Amino acid sequence: MRRAFFRSPTAVIGLLLLLLVIVIAIIGPIIMGTKAAQLNPSAFDETPSFQHLLGTDSLGRDIFARLVAATRTTITVSVAAAAIGAVIGIPLGLCAVVLPRYPRIILLRFIDSLIAFPGLLIAIFVAAVLGPSATSAGLGVGIALSFSFARVSSTLALSIAGRDYMAAARILGIGWTRRIFRHVLPNAGETLVIATTVSISSSIVAISSLSFLGLGIQPPSYDWGSMLTLGVASFYTNPAGALGPAAAIAISALAFGLVGEALARAMNPLLWGELRPVMLASPIGFRSRFRRRSTAAHRQPGSQHLADRDAVLEVSDLVVEFPRPTGPVAVVDRVSFAVRRGERIGIVGESGSGKTMTALAISQLVPYPGTVRGQLELCGQEVAYIPHGELPAFLGRSIGIAFQDPASSLNPALRIQTQLTESAHANQHADRKQAQSIALQRLAEVRLPAPADQMRKHPHELSGGMRQRVMLAISLMNQPAVLLADEPTTALDVTVQAQIMELLAEINSLHGTAIILISHNLALVSQNCDRVLVMYAGRIVEDISVEKLVEGPRHPYTRGLLASLPDLRQPTDEELVQIEGSAPDLADLPPGCPFSPRCPLAIAQCQEEPPLVELSGGGRVACWVTMAATTAS
Amino acid sequence: MTALSPDLAPAALTRTDDGASRRTANPWLRFVLRRLVSLVLVLLGLVTVTFALVRLVPGDPAAILAGLNQTHSTVAIIRHNLGLDRPALSQYFSYIWGVLHGRLGRSFYTSQAVSSLLVQRGIPSAQLAGTALILVMLISIPGGMIAAALTRDGRRRHFEAVFSAVTSVFGAIPEFLMATLLAFVFAVALHLLPVAGNGGVQSLVLPVLAISLRPIAVLLRLVRVEALNVLSQDYIRTARSKRLGWRAIYLRHVLPNALTPVLTIGGVLFSSLIAGAVVVENVFARNGLGTALVSAVLGRDYPVVQGIVLVLGVTVVIVNAIVDFLLALTDPRSLTGQA
Repeated sequence: MRRAFFRSPTAVIGLLLLLLVIVIAIIGPIIMGTKAAQLNPSAFDETPSFQHLLGTDSLGRDIFARLVAATRTTITVSVAAAAIGAVIGIPLGLCAVVLPRYPRIILLRFIDSLIAFPGLLIAIFVAAVLGPSATSAGLGVGIALSFSFARVSSTLALSIAGRDYMAAARILGIGWTRRIFRHVLPNAGETLVIATTVSISSSIVAISSLSFLGLGIQPPSYDWGSMLTLGVASFYTNPAGALGPAAAIAISALAFGLVGEALARAMNPLLWGELRPVMLASPIGFRSRFRRRSTAAHRQPGSQHLADRDAVLEVSDLVVEFPRPTGPVAVVDRVSFAVRRGERIGIVGESGSGKTMTALAISQLVPYPGTVRGQLELCGQEVAYIPHGELPAFLGRSIGIAFQDPASSLNPALRIQTQLTESAHANQHADRKQAQSIALQRLAEVRLPAPADQMRKHPHELSGGMRQRVMLAISLMNQPAVLLADEPTTALDVTVQAQIMELLAEINSLHGTAIILISHNLALVSQNCDRVLVMYAGRIVEDISVEKLVEGPRHPYTRGLLASLPDLRQPTDEELVQIEGSAPDLADLPPGCPFSPRCPLAIAQCQEEPPLVELSGGGRVACWVTMAATTAS
Repeated sequence: MTALSPDLAPAALTRTDDGASRRTANPWLRFVLRRLVSLVLVLLGLVTVTFALVRLVPGDPAAILAGLNQTHSTVAIIRHNLGLDRPALSQYFSYIWGVLHGRLGRSFYTSQAVSSLLVQRGIPSAQLAGTALILVMLISIPGGMIAAALTRDGRRRHFEAVFSAVTSVFGAIPEFLMATLLAFVFAVALHLLPVAGNGGVQSLVLPVLAISLRPIAVLLRLVRVEALNVLSQDYIRTARSKRLGWRAIYLRHVLPNALTPVLTIGGVLFSSLIAGAVVVENVFARNGLGTALVSAVLGRDYPVVQGIVLVLGVTVVIVNAIVDFLLALTDPRSLTGQA
C-alpha cells in the first residue's frame, strides 16, 4: 500500500504541499507575526513590490506577512471543525449497527435528509445562534461535516456487520461494545482516516467562506477568508491582495484533498480506479466494414470460393484483428463457410476460439478498435457493395441476433414494447400500429404467455426464460433470413434450456430461418443442428455434419471435445478424457497448426499450417494427420 | 437469481399475472404517499429547527437585542414582542400557524414584514440560482454525453486526458474563489463586465458563472463516466443489433440509464448551488437572500434569519423530492425497491 501511494505523482505533490502548509502553520506566526501586525499609515493599498510581496492592505500592513501568519489560525480552526465532525458523526453512524431494524431505518433516513442540506446553511445557522466567532464557525462546519461522517461510517459499519464473522460474533452473544471496538472499528479505521483527511479539505473551504462572509473568525484575529474580504474590497487598486489569500485557500484545500484521495486510491484501487472500458468484453460500435481483399495471396491455402446458389450467408476469408502493443492479433483468422436457407449450423469452441467474434463480424458489430476483412454475401448480395446509407436497414432485415444473457441484454429502463417495436420502426418503416401488431405476433411465436400484458412490462418484471423469449422475439422482428444465437441458453437452467431449443427448432421450420447456434457445448449443438463448425484459435478446424460427428469426427481436437463429454453409458470408474494443456495465446501462436502442442497425434508436418480441405465424404478438416490417413486408405 | 427460476408454466401464469397487475397498479401510489409523508416530516423538522433558533441562543435574546443601554422595561417589551413570555408549546404552535399563513414576523430593524422581504430579496436569488441550474443542465448533460460518445471504447485518448484535467481543476475550485478569480479576469483585468450590483443581464453573468462552473465540471465528468458505463452494457449491443440510428441509441437507450446517478448527484449539487449563491451574492454585492441572510445574522435580526433559513431549506427539500420523483420515472426498479 505504501508503495502504491508513493508511486502516484499527485500523492507526492499533495504530500509536499501538505508538509509545507503544516510547517508554515507552525512557524508562520513566529517569523511573520510582528511584521504582520505593523501598521504603516503612509503605505496603504500598495501594489506588490520587493518589500511587500503581495502589497499592503488599507492599513498599510504587509499582506504577505499576514498571509503567512494567518496560516495557523485557518488550519487550526479547520482541523478542529473536521475533528468535531468526526467525533459527532462517527458514533452516530456506528449506531446503525447496534440499533434494531426500525430505529436504524429512521436514523439512516434522518442522516440522508440532513446530508441534502447545504452545509454552509447549517454553519450559518449555528453562527446565528451563537453569534459570529471562530468557535461558532468551527462548531457549525463541524456539525455540517458530521452528517457526511455519519453516512460514511454507517455504510461502512453496515457492510462490515453483514460479513460472516460478524454474524457469528452476534450469535455467540458477543456484546455490542466489543463488536464495535473489536470488529467494526479496526476494519473501518483506514477509511475513516481518509474521510477525515478529505473533510479537512472541505473544512478549510467552508471556514474560509464563513470568514469571508464575516461570520467566521472576528477581528482582531484574522484568517485567509477574512483577508480575502479585505482584498476584494480593494480589488481595483491591488488585486494581489485578494488573489494571495484565494491561492492560499485553494492550495491548502488541494493538499489535503490530494493526499486523502491518493490514500484512498492506494488502499482500494478498485473503488477509485478510473473506469477503463474492457475492450473485448464490451462489443459495441459498428465502425468495421468489410473490405474486398485485392490479393489472393492472403487466402488460406486450399480455401475456395464457395459458390452455392442456395446460400443465404456466405463468408469468405473473414479476418478480425485487434491492435495490440506487439502488433495486430487475429481473433478470427481466415474463416470461410456458407449457410443454406433453413440450415441449422452450430459453431463450437472454447472461450477465446473466436466463435462470438465471428458472429459479431457477420453482423457488423465488432467493437472498436477491431477491424474486419473478408467477403460477406448475405441473401445473395455482396455486403461491401451495399450503399452506406442502406446498409443498416439491410442488415437489420437480414440478420437477427439473440444474445447470451437476457438479463443484461434487455434495456432495464424501457418497456418490452419499445424494445420490440423500435426495430420495426427502424428497419421496416412500420408505423406505430403496424409495429405493435408485428411485436404481438412475434411474442406469440416465441410462446410468451399473455403477450399484450407483457408488452407493457419492464424486463425486471419477467423471469429469465421469459426474457430470453423476448430477446428471441426482438431478433425475429424483421423476419431475418439468418438468426445468430450466441449461447442463448447458457444463463438459463436446464428445463428452460430445452424449451428455448425447441422454440429455435420451431422458428426454423416455420419461417425457414437459417440458425447459427454458437455454443461451447458440443452436446447441445449436436442435438439441435445439422452441421457443426469447430473453431480453434480463431480458425475453423473442422466442418462436419451431425451424422458424421456421431460416427466419429476427423480432427483430433473435435475428438477430444467429444471424448470429454460425460456419457451415461460410460462406466463410472473410467475417468473423463480431458484435452491436455490450455487454449493458446492468440498473440503468440505456435508455428503451423495451432493445436499441435496439445495434439496427441502431432507429427513433424504439423509445424506447417494445414489447409482446410474438403473431404470426399463431405465436410472439411484442417489436419495433416487426418489427410494422410484419408489419402492412404 | 431470476435467471435461474424455471420458466412459468401457462397454468401458473394466470395467477402471477393477477399479482403482477396488482403490484403495477400500486407502486406509484405507495411511492407518492411514502414520499409525501417523509416530505411533511422533513418540513416539520425544518420549521421546528427555525423555531428553536431564537430559543437556542445562550442567555436572554431579548437582553442581547436590547443592546447596551437597556432597562428592564425595554427588555420586557422586546421579550413580549418576540412572544418569549408565553409557554414554549403555545409559542411553537402559533409559530407553525403563522408559517402556514405566511406570517413570519417583522424585521427588528426595518419593521418590514419578513414575508415581503423574502419576496423582494428572493427574486434576484431565484434568478441567479435558476439561470445557473438551467446552464448546468444545458451544458453538462449533452456535453457529458458527447464526451462519452467521443471517448467510448478508449477512442481519442488525448481528448480524454484534456477533458479529465480541465474538469477536475474546475470541479475543485470553491464558489467564492471562482467568484474572486472571475471578477479579477473579467472585471479588473479585461474591464468587460461589472463586478457588483443588480443591474441587468450583464451583472448576472459573473455570479452565474461563479456558481455554475463547479457543478458543470463535476456533472460533465459524471455524465461521461455514467454514459460510458451504459455504453459498455450488453443491452446497448442489443440496441445496435437492431440497427437503430444514433439518436435512438443515445437518447432512448443510453440517456435514461445514465441519468439515474446523475440525478442523484444533481440533487446534492443543487443544494451546493444554493450555498454558492449565498456566498457569491456577497462577493458581487447583489441584493438577494444571501446578502440579506448574512447581514441579518451579523445584526441578530432573528425573524429575518428564521425566514430565510426556512425558505432556503424548503427549496432544498422540495428539489430533493422532485429528484426522487424523477428517479422513479427514469428507473422503474426504484419504485419496488429492486434497484
